[in-house]
Amino acid sequence: MTLLLDIVTTAAILFIVSAGLLAIFGVLEIVNFAHGAWLTVGAYCAVVTGGLGLNPWLALPLAFVAGAVLGGVTERLIVRPLYARPLDAILATWGLGIVIGQLITLWFGRDVQFTENLLSGTIHVLGISYSLYRIFALAAALVIGLGFAFLLEGTRLGLSARAIIMNEPLARALGLDTTRIRLFTFMIGTGLTALAGVLLTPLTSVDPTMGVSWLIGSFMLVMVAGSSFGALAIACLVFGGAQVLVSTFISPILGGITVAVLSALVLRISSKGFARA
Amino acid sequence: MSDTPQSETKLALEGVTSGYGPVAIIKALSLSVRKGEIFALMGKNGMGKTTLLKTILGLVPARSGDIRLDGRSIVGAAPKVLIQSGVGYAPQEQPLFTDLSIRDNLRLAVRSDRELEAALEHVFVHFPFLRDRLTQKAGTLSGGEQKMLILSRALMLKPDLLLIDEISEGLQPTVIARIATALRAERNDRGTTILLVEQNLNFALDVADRWAVLKLGEIDDSGTAELGSRDRILDHLKI
Repeated sequence: MTLLLDIVTTAAILFIVSAGLLAIFGVLEIVNFAHGAWLTVGAYCAVVTGGLGLNPWLALPLAFVAGAVLGGVTERLIVRPLYARPLDAILATWGLGIVIGQLITLWFGRDVQFTENLLSGTIHVLGISYSLYRIFALAAALVIGLGFAFLLEGTRLGLSARAIIMNEPLARALGLDTTRIRLFTFMIGTGLTALAGVLLTPLTSVDPTMGVSWLIGSFMLVMVAGSSFGALAIACLVFGGAQVLVSTFISPILGGITVAVLSALVLRISSKGFARA
Repeated sequence: MSDTPQSETKLALEGVTSGYGPVAIIKALSLSVRKGEIFALMGKNGMGKTTLLKTILGLVPARSGDIRLDGRSIVGAAPKVLIQSGVGYAPQEQPLFTDLSIRDNLRLAVRSDRELEAALEHVFVHFPFLRDRLTQKAGTLSGGEQKMLILSRALMLKPDLLLIDEISEGLQPTVIARIATALRAERNDRGTTILLVEQNLNFALDVADRWAVLKLGEIDDSGTAELGSRDRILDHLKI
């Protein structure tokens, strides 16, 4: 039973970490390689909140706003001129990620930072005692997934974003403000990624390079999922499950590369990955 | 073609040149469309008809010349601004979001959902079949139904100027008749000005007040829709 909960909650954490990257890739067709840096920015929002003696939960809205604002500036100044040059956008956002990491190092130093736990202790689930925080992460993933589903299916912004994904020239011809929709989408993606950074703090150490270790896994999951949040959820469940199984029964080191290796295999077999799911 | 008094002119193009990359598709073209007029622009494939509509809408930039809407220059204006100024567009190329429902396709035409119900009622007058099929995916409609949906979407904001690109292509005569009826009604009831790009000579002459033939980006001939126009236009359209 513990193994089952480990699989489900690991999938939830992978989904939380990857959702912002997918939002940006799905609509803008740009891979934001500064994704890891935004996770780090979010985690340091938790550090700042703790340092100021504020309620640790305040780090969540603070990180979302900080991530969204910084994302807005990044979209306007760096990404917008590169929409027609996606490879250059990868290089530019990769470089931006390095710059953000260095700036964080300048301000906070290289040392590992500690944050106050959002939740601690255990809870009885399905007859066993299990980490309360990991169950909370599962709930957070569901909220984020349902939130995205509502945003895409139930709002005009979501409808406009879907229209741009399907046929941007037609969307422009109908008078949709594609520039503004791209900006909002980027801001939502980066805001959500920073929020994910806060949610990671009880699970990982906080240091200026913490985001890098999550970047490759997120990138591979998004490549497998295409522009579909449903496909991302499936990819997280399948690959996250494999990661837990390999870590538990073979080697934690091999478990760490399971997501990347399986994603590469799936993309080798089908270039669209799970996007058809 | 610029012989219309300025006060009656809805849309005026003066020496407009536009194209893609180094190639000029529209070459120093001048054309005026009067308020409340249905104007048919005809020509063989590749003559620049679609490019001309895209240039008016700002989707293809005009390299030189001026385009005036109600006397105001609209060169450089974004499509969004023109749509909000009362321009409707029914494109020919990839004209629908086929994976979206009919309702969502129509919803994309209005600026806010508060305008949706009134706008829907307006298009249901012309095409009542849409009322009961709003949840159906646009891609599952027949070819004729899709064309009626494209026109409906362009009519949602009750435009003053309607740009229509080969709406009758591949349609049965009965569907073409329904579209012609809708266009006449929009013009007669609301005074809508319509610039109709067409290759279907019968349909174009049936609804239009005036016509012009486009050849390699320039106006080759023009006139009023009357007996005798047909043979004259056919001479230009011969392959």
